[in-house]
Amino acid sequence: MERASLPFDPEACQFRVGLEVHQQLAAGRKLFCPCPITKSDELPLAFERRLRPTQSELGQIDPAAVFEFNKGRVNLYRWNPESACLVEADEEPPHPPSTEAVETAMLMADVLGSRVVDEVHFMRKLVIDGSNTSGFQRTAIVGLGGSLRVGGAKVGVLTVTVEEDSARVLKEGAQAREYALDRLGVPLVEIALDHVAGVPEHVEAVALSLGRALRSTGRVARGQGTIRQDLNVSLLGGQVVEVKGVQKLGLVAKVVRYEATRQMGLVKIAEEVKKRGVEEVESRAADATDVLRGTASPVLRRIIQGGGVVTCVAFPRFAGLLGLEPFPGVRLGKELAEIARTNGLGGVIHSDEFAKQGLTEDEGVALRALAGSDSGAALVLVAGDASRVVTVAALVAERVKRAPLGVVGETRAATDEGETRYLRPRPGAARMYPETDIPEIVVTDAMKARVGGLLPVRWEEKVASYSREYSLSEEAALQLYDSGDSGLFEELVSRLRLEPSVVAAMLVEIPVRLSREGVDESRITPEALGATLAAVDSGRFAKEAAVDVLRAIGRGEARDVDEAVERLGLKGMGDEELEEAIAGVVSRNRELIAEKGDRAFSVLMGEVMKVARGKVDGKKVSSLLREAMKE
Amino acid sequence: MPGLLGYRGPAERLLREAEASVGDVLEVQTGGEKVTGTLVPRYEHDDDRHIVIKLKSGYNVGISVERVSKVVRLAEGEEPKFVAPKRATGGGLPRVSVLGTGGTIASRVDYRTGAVSPATTAEELYSLFPELADVASITPEIVMSVYSENLEPVHWGELAKKVAEAVAGGQAGVLITMGTDTMGYAAAALSFALKGVPIPVFIVGSQRSSDRPSSDAFLNLIGAASMAAGAGFSGVYVVMHADSSDERLAVHRGTRVRKDHTSARDAFESVGVEPVAFWSREGIAVNAREAPPPRGRAEGFEARPRFDPRAALVKFYPSMPAGYLEAVLGSGVRGVVFEGTGLGHINAKSVEAVARFVAAGGVVCMTSQCIWGRVDMNVYDTGRDLLKAGVVPLEDMLPETALAKLMWALANSPSAEEARRLMAEDLAGETTPRTVQRR
Ligand SMILES: [Zn+2]
Repeated sequence: MERASLPFDPEACQFRVGLEVHQQLAAGRKLFCPCPITKSDELPLAFERRLRPTQSELGQIDPAAVFEFNKGRVNLYRWNPESACLVEADEEPPHPPSTEAVETAMLMADVLGSRVVDEVHFMRKLVIDGSNTSGFQRTAIVGLGGSLRVGGAKVGVLTVTVEEDSARVLKEGAQAREYALDRLGVPLVEIALDHVAGVPEHVEAVALSLGRALRSTGRVARGQGTIRQDLNVSLLGGQVVEVKGVQKLGLVAKVVRYEATRQMGLVKIAEEVKKRGVEEVESRAADATDVLRGTASPVLRRIIQGGGVVTCVAFPRFAGLLGLEPFPGVRLGKELAEIARTNGLGGVIHSDEFAKQGLTEDEGVALRALAGSDSGAALVLVAGDASRVVTVAALVAERVKRAPLGVVGETRAATDEGETRYLRPRPGAARMYPETDIPEIVVTDAMKARVGGLLPVRWEEKVASYSREYSLSEEAALQLYDSGDSGLFEELVSRLRLEPSVVAAMLVEIPVRLSREGVDESRITPEALGATLAAVDSGRFAKEAAVDVLRAIGRGEARDVDEAVERLGLKGMGDEELEEAIAGVVSRNRELIAEKGDRAFSVLMGEVMKVARGKVDGKKVSSLLREAMKE
Repeated sequence: MPGLLGYRGPAERLLREAEASVGDVLEVQTGGEKVTGTLVPRYEHDDDRHIVIKLKSGYNVGISVERVSKVVRLAEGEEPKFVAPKRATGGGLPRVSVLGTGGTIASRVDYRTGAVSPATTAEELYSLFPELADVASITPEIVMSVYSENLEPVHWGELAKKVAEAVAGGQAGVLITMGTDTMGYAAAALSFALKGVPIPVFIVGSQRSSDRPSSDAFLNLIGAASMAAGAGFSGVYVVMHADSSDERLAVHRGTRVRKDHTSARDAFESVGVEPVAFWSREGIAVNAREAPPPRGRAEGFEARPRFDPRAALVKFYPSMPAGYLEAVLGSGVRGVVFEGTGLGHINAKSVEAVARFVAAGGVVCMTSQCIWGRVDMNVYDTGRDLLKAGVVPLEDMLPETALAKLMWALANSPSAEEARRLMAEDLAGETTPRTVQRR
């Protein structure tokens, strides 16, 4: 059944996915400076930087680095001294790494049966998209090897690394990007797993198990976006595609499915290319601005009138191949459009869609004449700002030339919809060199012993113990564990009279519901949750009102439970007041009760709850109402 | 890179037995496990009990020698070969000489081993900084390879001679690349040695080395090169970032510039004056208030490149023992610059030693450790006593500039009297007559 979700047999096509999971740590400070880990709403300071590719001894420049540089991009960094210092601004060398973070990585290595290295060496991994002010990410291997249990099977662990998180993207653009420095330098642990068969649900299960194993250390950050997965996806004969930044676990399977379909589609397109006997793809580019000056195409007209230019690139014997759609949504033309968009243009127009884009047949003929091509050629129009068009036309030609390869190795970004979009070429291997500002860390026996003493109970056992000790269903126990608030749960059930199942349900459901409503979840702290449940426990308001209280806190309308109660008018209802209200409702509905008997209950209950909602527990209302109706 | 760079003791023995060299691909067996990768060099200060392997992923890991059961040499390392990509070479543009001194402004990294090496030819410079070819025709020369903190007066002299050669050779301008630590001293020294230089001489460095994508070297070098080719003024200046952004460069007068931050890009500051110009991609904005001298004629220019290092800079501090000062004065120095407190003071008990040193032909000058503002030794008794003892007050001259000037004055004066006269005279904008900048 699982396999039915792919348009091909993953085994036969050797469809493989390697997971890299990045987990933010719940740490007291950043990895290379003592800055606290906090999100800044205000970012009063700013500076601008340009990053450049640097050259290796072999005269090689990292292709991904050159790509970013060619975009001529200026990065604007905004910051607040409350959450960043000159280290994040790349104006001061890194301080010695946080021992806490390094030891947490060691602990996670231990949990995964990974061998902790004897000496930890921090490296500089070139990343020049601007997400690091330095132009590189500092990262070190802490553990090698190991395995992760997923159901009955085992998945190999390749490496456990500790590294700094990147800057938070504020605004994305091809020419200028804006970042906030508050997240830069937050310690992350990255776990790289061996590849597994690309069955989407299986890959998601692996990611889920890994997340749970890391959570068992009790040292992972709470909340959304604190765990991110990258996927290395490949199939038979194709190059590896790196998909970055799947933000939600629940999207992993979807992304795998999308990428599988895209890759297989590209393989099928490549087969078509080969069927035509095209071994080496030729391309010819010509300036088509003048030819199209009076064009009927609204998009092109707008660009040309705005001072933009149009380059026409012709690919002989490619007619029909750019619009070919072996699977819904998979087209070479779409790949080209993504490349254009990443480089600051709106997209491309190719000859398979000329009519759709409003180009006339005459214009098609004129363009073919300009490019010296017959009707067997595919044409691609690249239009926009002159400074971008030449670069993009070259990238487009480069991409079509590689069409016979099928899947082209590249870095893609996962979208919130579970799709992937083109980001940049895949970085070469020659992009790491030692971080000479940080001395290596010799892992001593004392460190190992200290970390060994922290080894947690396995998560499977923990979940089993919740369902055993608190009579939670297995699913509820797992949800509680996944919520990240199981520690809070243990504390609350030990001091409150509320049923454990009620506490568990509230801890799991309320944050999820509020997060769906768009409430800032960072404000739904364990403290706020604990205080709210304690108030329910002491009868200050009904458990139904807990979500309203936390919503008010999450939206910043109330600082704490007391203020929320005040604001929402949640003074609890006394027994006398409740009985009075019930008596009133019952007396007003004598006739209805006489007519319908017990079936009148829900109507009456609704009326009572109009005044009692949030003030009294619903169960209490219903039992009192039933009694009153009997009288 | 042959041999076992940086390995000593047990680690070296283990590698020698395996006949391994840095750069070789090794399989290191430890009990039941093995690690495969390239052997990379070890830093000198590291211990001798670990070997460092670069994995295929690019990561380095250290392996304890005690755990290693066997090292197998799988393949010999490839010698790194640098092939500079072909670039246009700035033909037809104004000629600019680039003098290298060993700073890391123009270097590239060997990702295989992590070693950093300097660019030594024009081709390499162009390949590292392709935009250079758009602004100037470069003649690079590595004059020396010395860390900034190890630069000495003799090196300043060599640089001054090289600049004079460049002037005689018709270069439009000169760039001197240098580590930033003592750049302020060097800028001052060259300002005196090259007084009246008819072309611009820009001292350039970087606070982030050029092997990093975020290096400030790129903008500093390209901005300075374009000014060396096209600016309408002459003189010796430090050119560095004006602020944290990669946007604007400040051109600081060589005698009024100071490194005022250990690590930031805009560490250099004009003290008591404004920068003479700012550069950005939009062009050069010359500061009319600071009026730098225009370009002049090469004929008649002569460098005075000699320095006498027998001078000391002494920062006075509370409780400074008399013996400390006497030791300095008796160490063979011919002159001393004091960084006095406030308006230019040292404690009363030191006055006599100073007087004796001056009487014996020594030159003693006073600057202030306040950095900002001007000394005035007539306000308090100690100041007046020091003046009477023959101390030369140096107005608002920076202490570092005063030291460089004293070394130059001692080498270029027939007598102590003449040296004192030179110290008191404004030769290269090192003092200002009016204090107008508040800080
Ligand atoms: Zn910081």
